[in-house]
Amino acid sequence: MTSNHATQSEQLQDRFGRRIAARLSAGTAELSHDVAERLRAARVQAVARRKPAVIRTATAAAASGGAATLTFGEGQSLWNRIASVLPLIALVAGLFVIQVAQDEHRAHEVAEVDAALLTDDLPPAAYADPGFIQFLKASKD
Amino acid sequence: MATERELSDFLKSVEKRAFKRSVYHVRDEEAALDIVQDSMMKLAEHYGDKPVTELPMLFQRILSNCTLDWFRRQKTRNALFSNMSDFEASTEDGDFDLLETFAFAEGSQQAESAEDTTRRAQMLREIEAQIQELPGRQREAFLMRYWEDMDVAETAAAMGCSEGSVKTHCSRAVQALSKALKAKGIQL
Repeated sequence: MTSNHATQSEQLQDRFGRRIAARLSAGTAELSHDVAERLRAARVQAVARRKPAVIRTATAAAASGGAATLTFGEGQSLWNRIASVLPLIALVAGLFVIQVAQDEHRAHEVAEVDAALLTDDLPPAAYADPGFIQFLKASKD
Repeated sequence: MATERELSDFLKSVEKRAFKRSVYHVRDEEAALDIVQDSMMKLAEHYGDKPVTELPMLFQRILSNCTLDWFRRQKTRNALFSNMSDFEASTEDGDFDLLETFAFAEGSQQAESAEDTTRRAQMLREIEAQIQELPGRQREAFLMRYWEDMDVAETAAAMGCSEGSVKTHCSRAVQALSKALKAKGIQL
């Protein structure tokens, strides 16, 4: 019952509103010539200043393609920017991995020499002995 | 994307209503023309590349903002037009019942052509005067909803308020208008 009353009330409201609107619309037809002309002039001026649509032709896209990637040209979406940064990240990561591998390789080589020296029959202290150096020189002669 | 022709046609279809609405708000034809011109410029400059279906909503928002800007400028310039309270929600109308005080007589609808021109002009002036008397938000909601033929959701989006608020504003506006017009002996 209450919802019926509310619906009926809303319908009456809408009907009343539309009748008022119809009266107002009829009134706009009677606007003075001066006002109508000024509105027309304002409209023409506005349309002349219309924001131009951004149309990318194939030639323009090809010409600006390289520069756009390097300069993160404006208008690119976030995902485009992320995608263009990815190769750079991959390059840096690759260089880092190569450097770590080379360091490890060098350390391994030094370790091998050290191990060979330490496991040799001649003790390492012998190389620092002045008599041994003298012996080497004499045997060379 | 709206073409130049579509934009022009759209502006042509709304310009007169926009002008009258601005006049109801600011009560000054020169200022209303400036507001409508500003709104058209802003729409064309900033949203001229939008689809034509989005233009009505954008234009309503721009027009409302331009009207508010005008009030702000006026308030800053002098205190003559400091009636910003017009834009606050009113809390009058207690137990007014539309069904009791405004009942349409179904058979009373007369053909408009049969009415006297002078009487029609007089009635229009009365209606416009009563619309100008409405609080700003009620007037805005009422005109968008019924004159611009926007639905409740669209009106709410354009006004930046809830759908419930739009319904309340419209309901109060209808009640106030029907009361006032009935008191003047005007029957629609």
